[in-house]
Amino acid sequence: SDLGNEAVSIRIAHGLDVQHPVHKSLEFMDERLKTISDGKMSLTIFPSGQLGSEREIIELIQIGTLGMTKVSASSLEAFVPEMKIFSLPYLFNDHQHYWDVLTSPIGQSLLDSGVEYRVKGLGYFDAGSRSFYTTHKKVEAPSDLNGLKIRVMNSQSAVDMVNTIGGAATPVSWGELYTALQQGIVQGAENNPPSFYYSKHYEVSKYYLLDEHTSIPDVIVVGTHLWDSLSAQEQVWLKQAMDEATDYQRKVWMESTEMSLAKVKEAGVTVMKADKAIFQDSVTSLYDSITSESIKRLVADIKQMGER
Amino acid sequence: MTSLILFGVFAILLLINLPIALAIIFATLVSMLMTVDTLPALTTIAQRLTAGIDSFALLAIPYFILSGYLMGQGGIAHRLISFSKVLVGRLPGGLAIVNVISCALFGSISGSAVAATSAIGGFMIPAMEKEGYKKPFGTAVTVTAATTGMLIPPSNILIIYSLASGGVSIAALFIAGYLPGILVTVSLILAAVLYVKRNNIQTLSKESIEPFFPAFFGAIPSLFLIFLIIGGIIGGIFTPTEAGAIAVLYSLILSLVFYRQITVKDLYPILLKTVNTTAIVMLLIGASSAMSWLMSYASIPQTISHMLLTLSENPLLILLIINITLLVVGTFMDMTPAVLIFTPIFLPVAESLGISPLHFGIMMILNLSIGLCTPPVGSVLFVGCSIGKVSISEVIKPILPLYAAMFIALVLVTMFPAISEFLPRAFGLI
Amino acid sequence: MCLDACIEKLDKFLRVFLAVMMALLVVDVTWQVLTRFILPQPSSFTEEVARFLLIWVSLIGAAYAYRLNSHLGFDLLVKKLPVSEALFYYRLCCLLVVIFAISVLIIGGCNLVYLTWSLGQSSPVLNIPMAFIYSVVPFSGCLFTLYSGIFFKQASNAIAE
Ligand code: NA
Ligand code: NA
Repeated sequence: SDLGNEAVSIRIAHGLDVQHPVHKSLEFMDERLKTISDGKMSLTIFPSGQLGSEREIIELIQIGTLGMTKVSASSLEAFVPEMKIFSLPYLFNDHQHYWDVLTSPIGQSLLDSGVEYRVKGLGYFDAGSRSFYTTHKKVEAPSDLNGLKIRVMNSQSAVDMVNTIGGAATPVSWGELYTALQQGIVQGAENNPPSFYYSKHYEVSKYYLLDEHTSIPDVIVVGTHLWDSLSAQEQVWLKQAMDEATDYQRKVWMESTEMSLAKVKEAGVTVMKADKAIFQDSVTSLYDSITSESIKRLVADIKQMGER
Repeated sequence: MTSLILFGVFAILLLINLPIALAIIFATLVSMLMTVDTLPALTTIAQRLTAGIDSFALLAIPYFILSGYLMGQGGIAHRLISFSKVLVGRLPGGLAIVNVISCALFGSISGSAVAATSAIGGFMIPAMEKEGYKKPFGTAVTVTAATTGMLIPPSNILIIYSLASGGVSIAALFIAGYLPGILVTVSLILAAVLYVKRNNIQTLSKESIEPFFPAFFGAIPSLFLIFLIIGGIIGGIFTPTEAGAIAVLYSLILSLVFYRQITVKDLYPILLKTVNTTAIVMLLIGASSAMSWLMSYASIPQTISHMLLTLSENPLLILLIINITLLVVGTFMDMTPAVLIFTPIFLPVAESLGISPLHFGIMMILNLSIGLCTPPVGSVLFVGCSIGKVSISEVIKPILPLYAAMFIALVLVTMFPAISEFLPRAFGLI
Repeated sequence: MCLDACIEKLDKFLRVFLAVMMALLVVDVTWQVLTRFILPQPSSFTEEVARFLLIWVSLIGAAYAYRLNSHLGFDLLVKKLPVSEALFYYRLCCLLVVIFAISVLIIGGCNLVYLTWSLGQSSPVLNIPMAFIYSVVPFSGCLFTLYSGIFFKQASNAIAE
């Protein structure tokens, strides 16, 4: 390290609040890092987006004022084009398939693909699967989404996906979404169970359809300027703490998902399992329209892993 | 140490009359250079400056500034005020009361104190001036009343608090905000009327008040604007931010086609005036977002509050310390970063004293609302001063009694949890 | 004289540019609301356009507002000073504005443009280079530098008023 004998404290910023499983797991990572490195390394965590949105934090890592962050792979799309792969709907057969891919060489090469953009992926966190929730209309099949305004994330791939399935993708900023749902500007949105629960959107939504259209992992990113300044030993410590945090986070995330689903059911939301096959059929045109050769190859490799 | 440099540089630059926004940026830059290399520091500040502005919700500011100007010059404001004079013109401080109520109403519907200030202040401050109230007083009334919309739902800041506190129901918070919001509104009305009486500001002569029916019928198309905005938001046709654009469109049609009080040629200077005011406010918002960023980065809030909280173990004293810290914080920091940073620090302390997160949230938002209109960093105060064309130092004197009114409301809300908790309990939300 | 004429032309260009951008800002979001009702699929790009327009209007507008001397400050102390000292502080402020414009806006802004350009970051919906959006920062810096230079030169007239 360029800091000589001094202990290294890495500034890591993220957008979620301190109750969120991601924050808890980063605290765990900090504990483990301190133990493994015998107090020579630690994390300083800045939660709640107080240092900026995901896009802005990645930029700050490139600028060099921040060391690490947790971002959604979808936020990385604007920086690392290969990350678009995760925005493809119904790419994975199930949770097992998803994690098989993440822990395979494919997952590793996706993490490394950020290096040329100064952001190295260190490891994955589970961010579950995103599903539709609606305020008043019960949705069970793609055709039920017709004419419904569904709020999507601020990304072209998310817009294309919802429009292809049959809804009308509508841009609403995350901060305005609660009131937009409550007052009917949009009739639905989509997110994973813990976000559905923590954002309180279940207070104004009656139906939650577990169609699990996308599984977009969270990525722990380290700036190459920081990574390159670490000694080989320090890199090993950080990587080990990351791997232990991933195992821990997957467990916490699972518990959080179950708890969130139980809580929203308790609050009166009807939670339904979707017939995924008909949803899968509705998005074939999206796969046909892929032009990038590297994405096509990745899709083929991932599909092949699912057949085993 | 960083905090001393930050505030020291800031204070000196303010005194030599450098624009506030630049004083904030310089203070941030000097403090940042202590821990960060020069080029990354400069680049980070450039990024925070744009990131602070890069928010869809902030669009409400230019829209409502523009619609405020259109209403003022296009004859809409004139008709609305003639009508309100019919209703309350005979009371002492009549127009001040109208101003408070309009700001509170608009602030609660739009959820944005800045939007309320620009929309209502844009025509109420000149109208009040015409009736003998001085501009600084009109500005002071507008900015303080506009913040009551933070408590009365819908309110984005209450949603942010809910997320930061990790568990308080938004529905409960929304219901809880009504009584405290009304309490502040009433206190402000009382303070404004007292101010008017003590300073012997003349109320309207009876001759200047039109008869009821002509005033009412003249105001109908203008009154429809209010229904359009409120109805559109509640009816789910557009979001509060989008309502701004619709308000512009409607006032444009009304004043251009219906009242014919402005022509297409007049639009050019009106647009430029809007850009001018918008840019002043946005530069300040960008600058304070850079400063808030640095404060978080250097962990200044944590350092200060941990120091303060070790001072005492007496519950009442701790509550007092929390409130005073927030009041001081509110003078330097904008509301959203303050809520995000201080909720996780103070809420556990408050809960250990037996204060419910709901009560704490309302107390905190009310407290920080005061900060929105205190210098040196108060976005609502800035907008008010640019709209009202008055300097900050002129506003200080007439705004003091209004601060006092808000402060008394804060003390009541802090001491009597029932003010926040009665309604949510009655509705079975807690 | 030629310089004065050039500056006047620039001012006029800025005014027209800013007014057009402001009008576009209204059209854009009105269109966003309308498409939710008249089109089967609401427009998805209007939100991003609006945010980027706001950044441009604000940063170029900030220089324009500086030109009009309308930024907020605390004039309490300076008003009480004798003319010679007031002139000194006025010039000092001009100098500080130049330092701010060159360091933060031009150097910091150019680095931001350079980074986002060389690392190929594009906006999430419109897919335009973020470097293009950020280029307004150094541009605004040039305007601030120019205007503070003019104010510095005309300082004695300004204080006399
Ligand atoms: Na409100
Ligand atoms: Na303040």
